[in-house]
Amino acid sequence: MSAWQKIKTVATFEFLSAVKRPGYLIATFGMPLFMAAYGAVVAVPAYIADKGSRAAASVYGVVDEPGVLRLSGDLNVGKQSPISEEMRRALEAAGQGQALERALDNFVFRPYTSRDEAHAALAARHLKGYFVIPQNYLRDGRLDVYTPDSFNVSGSDSRNALSDLLRRRLVEQRLDPALSARVVKPIERTRRFAVTRNGEVRDGGSTASILRFAVPLVFMVLFLISVLMTSGYLMQGTATEKENKVVDVLLASANPDQILAGKLLGLGGAGLLQISVWLTMLMVTGVGVVPLLMSARVDVPWLALALAAPFFVIAFLFFGGLMLGTGSLGTNMREAQQLAMVWSLTAAAPLMMMAVLIREPNGLVAKVMTWVPFTAGPVVILRASNDASQLAWWEIAGSLLVLVGATWLGLRLGARLFRIGLLSAGARPTLREIVRQARLTS
Amino acid sequence: MSTPVVIFDTIEKAYGQIVALRGVSFDVNSGEIFGLLGPNGAGKSTLIRILMDIIRADKGRVMVFGEPRSRVHLDRLGYLPEERGLYTKLAVVDVMTYFGALKGLSRAEARRRSLAWLEKVELPHVATWKVDRLSKGMSQKVQIASILLSDPDVCVLDEPTTGLDPVNVQMVQDLLLERRRNGRTTILSTHHMSQVEELCDRVALINQGQLMVYGEVDEVRRRYSLPEVRVHARGPLPHVPAVARTTDEGEGSWRILLSDGTPPHEVLAALVASGACVDRFEPLLAPMEDIFVRVVKEGRA
Repeated sequence: MSAWQKIKTVATFEFLSAVKRPGYLIATFGMPLFMAAYGAVVAVPAYIADKGSRAAASVYGVVDEPGVLRLSGDLNVGKQSPISEEMRRALEAAGQGQALERALDNFVFRPYTSRDEAHAALAARHLKGYFVIPQNYLRDGRLDVYTPDSFNVSGSDSRNALSDLLRRRLVEQRLDPALSARVVKPIERTRRFAVTRNGEVRDGGSTASILRFAVPLVFMVLFLISVLMTSGYLMQGTATEKENKVVDVLLASANPDQILAGKLLGLGGAGLLQISVWLTMLMVTGVGVVPLLMSARVDVPWLALALAAPFFVIAFLFFGGLMLGTGSLGTNMREAQQLAMVWSLTAAAPLMMMAVLIREPNGLVAKVMTWVPFTAGPVVILRASNDASQLAWWEIAGSLLVLVGATWLGLRLGARLFRIGLLSAGARPTLREIVRQARLTS
Repeated sequence: MSTPVVIFDTIEKAYGQIVALRGVSFDVNSGEIFGLLGPNGAGKSTLIRILMDIIRADKGRVMVFGEPRSRVHLDRLGYLPEERGLYTKLAVVDVMTYFGALKGLSRAEARRRSLAWLEKVELPHVATWKVDRLSKGMSQKVQIASILLSDPDVCVLDEPTTGLDPVNVQMVQDLLLERRRNGRTTILSTHHMSQVEELCDRVALINQGQLMVYGEVDEVRRRYSLPEVRVHARGPLPHVPAVARTTDEGEGSWRILLSDGTPPHEVLAALVASGACVDRFEPLLAPMEDIFVRVVKEGRA
C-alpha cells in the first residue's frame, strides 16, 4: 500500500468521523443561525426604536433675535447625511435606497419669538431642542443650544443643518447665485484618482479600493479562524487516540508522517468545509453586495485572489503540522492547547501588525515578513492586493518556495514530536527527553 | 524445513539508564505459533514495538520475510498491543473497516471482511453499535477480529485472552490454530503457560532484557525436566533397578524418579519383565509454569 493511500485512508476516516459528530454539525449549521438570531435580538428593538424616532421629522426651535434666518414658519431643511456621493450611489444600486432614506435625518426649524416660549415647548418635549441666535451673533458667532436632559446623539447633525441654513441666508441676495452656492458648499463633489509608481492612473475612490483592503483582511481572519478551529479538532483527535489506546495499532499500520498528513488533510478539510459553509451562507444572504461592488467600479485585486488559495493551503499545512506535533506532547486537551498557543499567536502576528502593514505595504517590515514563513502568506496577499506592480515575481516565487520548504520541515518536525507525544504516557515529556527521543527516532 | 520469517539479531535497547534489551537474538519460523514469554518488564513489549517499527533499536537488526524490516512490511504484519482500545464514539464496523483499510484493504473489502469476522466471533449484531456499548469481552473480541481481518502473514498478539471467559478463550485459541493451518505465523505473548503448552510450537523466554530460554516447547520442557516417569498399573508395583525413588500417587498411579542416565524404556522393560500390569507409561515433562518461575527466580538471584 503506497504512502499516499495510507494518508488518504487516515484523511477519509478523520474527515468522516469529524463531520458526523453532532458538535460539528451544530457548529457548522447552527452557528450562522445563532449569529442571525443574535443579530435579530440586538437589531430588531434598535430598528423599531429608530423607525419610531425617524418617522417624524426632528423639530428644533429657533429664537432668532437678530433675524438673520428670516423664518416665517416651520422650515424643513431636508435630508442631511455625511455619506459620500459615491457611497450613496452604490447603496442605491444595491437596492438599499430605502434603508439609506431611513438613515438620513429630516430637520425642521420652527421659529419662536422668545426664549420663554421655546423653553416651554422643550420642557413639554414638543421639541428635540432649540437654538438661540443672540443679538450679537454676527459679531462673535456664538449660539446657545438647549436640549433635553436625556442622552442625545443627534446634536451635531442638527447643528450642521442649522450652520448650512445660516450660511445660505447670510450670503443670499448679497452675492451672485453661483458664488453664493460655492460659499455655502465649497466642495460639491470630488473625483479621486490613484497614481501608481509606474504612473498609471486608476480610480482612487474609497469604495473602489475597498476590495484591496478587504481581500487581505478576509484572508487573515479566515486563515486565523481555520488554523485555530482545525488545530482544536486535531488536538482533540490525538487526545482521543491516546485515551482510547489505539495509538500502537495506528503506528503499527502507518508511520507518523502519514498519520499526521492524513489527520491534517482530513480534519483540515472538515475545518475548511465548515468555513466554506459559513461563507456560502453569508454570501447567499448578502448577495446584494455584488451590485454594490459593480456599481462602485471596484478595483478587483486579481493577483491577490489568485495567490490566496495556494498560500492559504500551504500556510495552513505549515501551522497545522507544528500545532499538532506540539499539541500531541500534552497529556490532556488543555495542556495541548497551551503548548500549541505559541503557534496561534504567531499566526495572528500579521493581523496584529495590520496597521503598520497597511501604512507601508512595501516598506521594510512588509518586505522582511514576505520571507518569513510564519507571516509570508498574509503579507504576500496584502502586498499583491495593495499594489501588485510593487510585488516582484521573484518575491512571490521565493516566498512560496520558503513557505513550501518550511512546511516540509514543519511537517517533519511535527511528525517527530507527534510520534514522541503519542508514545509518551502519563507525564508530559521533558525537553531533554524530547531531544533524546527525536535523536532516536531519526 | 520451516524458514524464518522474523529474525531478531542482537537487539539492544535502553531507555535512559534503564536497559530494556541486551543483545536478544532469535528467529520465528513461518507458519508456527511462537510463544514470547517473560515476566512484566522483561522487555517483550519493547521487542514487539521494535518489530513493528514503533520504536527503534539502539543496536542490532530485525529481518522480516528475508529482508531488513522496513515500513513496506507493515501491511503484512498485524499487532494487537497489550494496552489497546477502540474509538469509543464510532460504530464497531466503521472502526474495523478503518483498521482493515490501514492494512491495505479497499474500504469495501475491509467492510465485507469486518462483517464476516463479526459473524466469526459471534457478534454480528454489534456491527452498528457504538463501541462504548460493548462489554469488555465483546470489545476484546472485536479488537482481535480487527487485527486478524487483514489476514496478516505475521501477527503479534499481546495477551489476547485476558479478560475473556473460558468459552471465548477457546474461540480465540481456535482462531490461532486456524491461522497455523493456513500457514500464517503468530507471535503470542502471554502469561498463561497452559496456553503455551497447548498452542505454541516454539518459545523464547526473556528476563531482564536477556534471552534465557529458546527452542521447541517439548524440547524446552524436557531440558528443564527431572528424569521422571508416571506409571499407571494394576496391582502393586515391583521394585526394579535404576530407580532412585518411587512415589505412590494413589489410585494405581506412581511417579518414578530414574537414576541418572537411565533411559525410560529400560525401566518400562524391567517393570514388564517383573510382572507389573502396566496400563500407561509416560515420561513426565516439566510444566512451562515451573520453568517460567524457575528461570525468573534464577535471574533475580
